[in-house]
Amino acid sequence: MESLENAIEVRHLRKAFGTLKAVDGIDFELKQGEFLTVFGPNGAGKTTLIKILAGLTRPSSGTAKVAGFDVAEGHPEMRKEIGIISHATALYADLTPLENLIFFARMHGLKQPEDRALKVIDEVGLSPRRNDRVRTFSRGMLQRLSIARAVLHDPAILFLDEPFTGLDLHATNVLKEHLQRLHDRHRTILMTTHDISCGLEMCDKVALQVQGKFAFLENITDIDKDQFESIYFDAVRDNQFAMKIDF
Amino acid sequence: MNLYLNQIAAIVWKDFVTELKTRELLSAMFIFALLVILIFIFSINLSIVKASEVGPGILWVAFLFAGTIGLNRSFMLEKENGCLMGLMLVPADRTTIYFGKLISNLIFLSIMELFILPLFMIFFNIDLLSHLGPLLVVVFLGTLGFCALGTLLSSLSANLKTREIMLPILLYPLLIPIIIGAVRMTGQILDGTELADMMKWVGLTASFDIIYIGVSIMTIDHILEE
Repeated sequence: MESLENAIEVRHLRKAFGTLKAVDGIDFELKQGEFLTVFGPNGAGKTTLIKILAGLTRPSSGTAKVAGFDVAEGHPEMRKEIGIISHATALYADLTPLENLIFFARMHGLKQPEDRALKVIDEVGLSPRRNDRVRTFSRGMLQRLSIARAVLHDPAILFLDEPFTGLDLHATNVLKEHLQRLHDRHRTILMTTHDISCGLEMCDKVALQVQGKFAFLENITDIDKDQFESIYFDAVRDNQFAMKIDF
Repeated sequence: MNLYLNQIAAIVWKDFVTELKTRELLSAMFIFALLVILIFIFSINLSIVKASEVGPGILWVAFLFAGTIGLNRSFMLEKENGCLMGLMLVPADRTTIYFGKLISNLIFLSIMELFILPLFMIFFNIDLLSHLGPLLVVVFLGTLGFCALGTLLSSLSANLKTREIMLPILLYPLLIPIIIGAVRMTGQILDGTELADMMKWVGLTASFDIIYIGVSIMTIDHILEE
């Protein structure tokens, strides 16, 4: 990615499905190397926000630029700069990890796809299982393989949509280690999660999305973690738009 | 261009490797096509009805119904585990997904047809070998049109709960020109007509093949987008 000040820029972003406003006027910027965690109750529009930024769906109005590209224009070049990890693994169950990653490496146009696939499989600790069908994997192993798929092409920006869902303690710790490594490598990360402790642990910025809007967006250093938890649970219970919060 | 063709080849390779491991698609299509032919062979009195008159229609019914099973399964593979999302996230033109799946579907259906044709020949006691060349051309043209439109519509119906019903409902009416052309040409070939004498039908079928592919290229982006 060219040296851009902002890896992600979002202005007045909206997405409606009929009368349902999934994203309802979101504005924010994320500099290169920053880590933003977005919390919010179910149905707040977090997944829709990620889908828009990843170019999987177009916004109804507003603009979003990722790696300098307007997401609405659907540039294939933008997709070289992004990777996504969600609760859907995007892995072919009847293929092995090696076959899955060779396939995606070829789709990304990587030179020596097999070498690259073997390298990332090793990085996520799945080398002993590289020739076993993905269908036989546990949830934690699937998530590790998802990470491998997402970082295969070494993207500058990563989107993680509730990546801790369904993971046990060990798998959660493994995922956190990988995310920390990616953060240390100056990757820009936007993560949505319900897990407050994991979400607050690694990020530089925190947002709370409720009914399609950001209730607030602050630096982690400006957040009182205990106060944030009670605000979050109020939002989950009431599922109402929280007024701007002043700490 | 190289990358574009490599991406299409990668999708075809992936589908082939999956099929080699599971053998779900080919076996299901073959058994269904065979069943259709067997049902008809037992329900028709071939001492009264001329096999070459009813045979072409029965053959294409078998191909189309079995092919529909294949098309449904083809895109379901991409819907499982959100794999289609993974495909949408690669730096590829969306038409690579369409052409990759089209070629996979075309190859699998053609393999099924190559197994069914000899059985059809045996059960209906029709000599296909002396018309093999022209017959294969006709089967290819018909199958190409079926796969061209079917791949597009299966990507559309894959998002629907009632996909198994919706695909044939959407597909068969639009396939009428191809079906008519394919059945007529097959019948004429079995009657001994040369391919050169039915260029009107060849042209009609090939034209619709091109139209279906063209429409698919123009619309696949919008269909795949959420």
